[in-house]
Amino acid sequence: MSQVEQVREWASLAQGATECIMRRMTGEYHEDEWGFDEEFAEAVFPVMDFLYRVWWRVRTTGVTNVPGHGRALLVGNHSGAVFPFDGAMVGAAIQKEHPLPRWARALILNWTLAQPGVSYLLRRTGGVAANPANLTRLLEQDQLAMVFPEGAKGFGKSFSERYRLQRFGRGGFVEVALETGTPIVPVAVVGGEEIYPKLGELSALAKIVGAPYVPITPTFPLLGPLGLLPLPSRWRIEFLEPIDLSGYGPGASQDRSLVFDLSERVRETIQEALYRGLVERGPAFL
Amino acid sequence: MAAKGRVVIAGVATRWGSELARALERDPEVGEIIGIDTAPPKIDLERTEFLEADIRNPVISRILPGLEPDVVVHCGVIWYPEAGQPSRALHDINVIGTLQLLAACDKCDSLKALVVRGSAAIYGSTPGAPSFLTEDMARRYPLKTRFQRDIGELEGYFDSFGRRHPDITCCMLRFQYELGPGLDNPLSRYLTLPVVPTQLGYDPRLQPLHALDATGALTAATLNPVRGAVNVAPDGAISLSRLLRLAGKPAIGVPPVISSLVLKGLGGFLGSADLSQDGELLMRWGRGCDNRRLREEIGYELAFDSEGTARDFAQKESGLRSLFPSPHPGSPVRSIRR
Repeated sequence: MSQVEQVREWASLAQGATECIMRRMTGEYHEDEWGFDEEFAEAVFPVMDFLYRVWWRVRTTGVTNVPGHGRALLVGNHSGAVFPFDGAMVGAAIQKEHPLPRWARALILNWTLAQPGVSYLLRRTGGVAANPANLTRLLEQDQLAMVFPEGAKGFGKSFSERYRLQRFGRGGFVEVALETGTPIVPVAVVGGEEIYPKLGELSALAKIVGAPYVPITPTFPLLGPLGLLPLPSRWRIEFLEPIDLSGYGPGASQDRSLVFDLSERVRETIQEALYRGLVERGPAFL
Repeated sequence: MAAKGRVVIAGVATRWGSELARALERDPEVGEIIGIDTAPPKIDLERTEFLEADIRNPVISRILPGLEPDVVVHCGVIWYPEAGQPSRALHDINVIGTLQLLAACDKCDSLKALVVRGSAAIYGSTPGAPSFLTEDMARRYPLKTRFQRDIGELEGYFDSFGRRHPDITCCMLRFQYELGPGLDNPLSRYLTLPVVPTQLGYDPRLQPLHALDATGALTAATLNPVRGAVNVAPDGAISLSRLLRLAGKPAIGVPPVISSLVLKGLGGFLGSADLSQDGELLMRWGRGCDNRRLREEIGYELAFDSEGTARDFAQKESGLRSLFPSPHPGSPVRSIRR
């Protein structure tokens, strides 16, 4: 390539960047009704990409079990005592590996959404508050939603409890899936438990700041902010066979025992896949 | 039910009462229009009869039945203190006024429909709330501010009135905050500050309701009231940061601990932008309402969505906009990257 061409290319890149910044500064960008800003999500994606490829060396299987279009509900195990990165990595796996990439819309714990900074970062990258009304509306819009039914019990469990699935809430996600006729895609994430091994809690501090818990890890709060750096464990993400619920009909959501049965079935499927994934992965860090 | 015949508007001197009267005047199917308030309306109305009365006074129970109304529209719910109405008076106007008006409505045998212009403040502003609250989700969260509690109390009276009178169509309209050309309210004053103080770390999702839609929806609900609560909110939502960018307003993030003081102090200094506790919560957590009942049951087609309202506001309030014109005026352009 001649020098002139190269300069020309740089100039056009610079022009593109300037135009983009001007456009952002004047509000000329798209934001959907939930506050999801796709351009922003794309802009921060390189960070996720780095974590996915280099830091955690994620290996993903079964990504085609996620439908390329239409409503679907991802249900995963939750981990990562300080920052649960599993949602971001499941989203990144679909972005990177799926033939028809789409954004997964995560349902986020209320307490997290009340935190300054975090709340709007999550919202701009596709997060919404976790409640049945939001999940129903998302699925009715034929979006890809993502829930972690264990909630805080899941990512807040101690390191000795790792990869042992906690109770799946009240099965609310099954109810909504039955009502909206949405297939459930279970997801098993191996590796998230080792990024912040939670050894204990500072319960008095948690009470003061109003947090569900304040974790103690080998590096946090010992090393201060540096302790917030996640450990570079090795990850496996497995998307499992979708569970089709359309055969039950919308009335089935009233049937409590069916809801609990299905919820338990999803839970067991993920638990089995976790044990399988752990054996396949071998040592956590090497 | 199509409401025709005699319409009584309580609180006709408020902006929305006057606008409703003007809109109803244009409809030949509406018979007589009678406006009640403590002061005459500020705009010229052609065929609206004005009656000077205070709905806070029990005398209203003797006046209202004599008017033989078919529809009573209550526009006298005040959202924020205005000139001549200090904040202390708000509780009196909103709660006691509504209580007296409902007591008067009890005695009106002719009454077929009651429409109240309420507020979406009944839902509060909460971080974990559904992004699009439906009408059955009121009172799911504790009512935190004085205005929210007033609205809650008012809706309580309204509900019990509805239970006592199953034959009267009782319609409670829950309005989102209005924004629009020529509208002077705390929100518009806040957004037109030279530098807008926002709460650092928070970026609320808002649904500004265009002033034209606010009047239009109120008129539509008066002509075709439905039973129960109805949200009056635009489609979609817009975040405060984007709204400010569209308006070309520089924003400055203020730590939440002192944001309340700053908003009050700055507002006082500029003589304008006291947002009140209610507005502060809204500017931290935001609020979104579902408008399906309004569109499908009342049958009102909104002219502006949230973004449209923001753009209309930005166009009319353009300040720095003339200095830094948008590279793509008028169209929400997607990525131009290669």
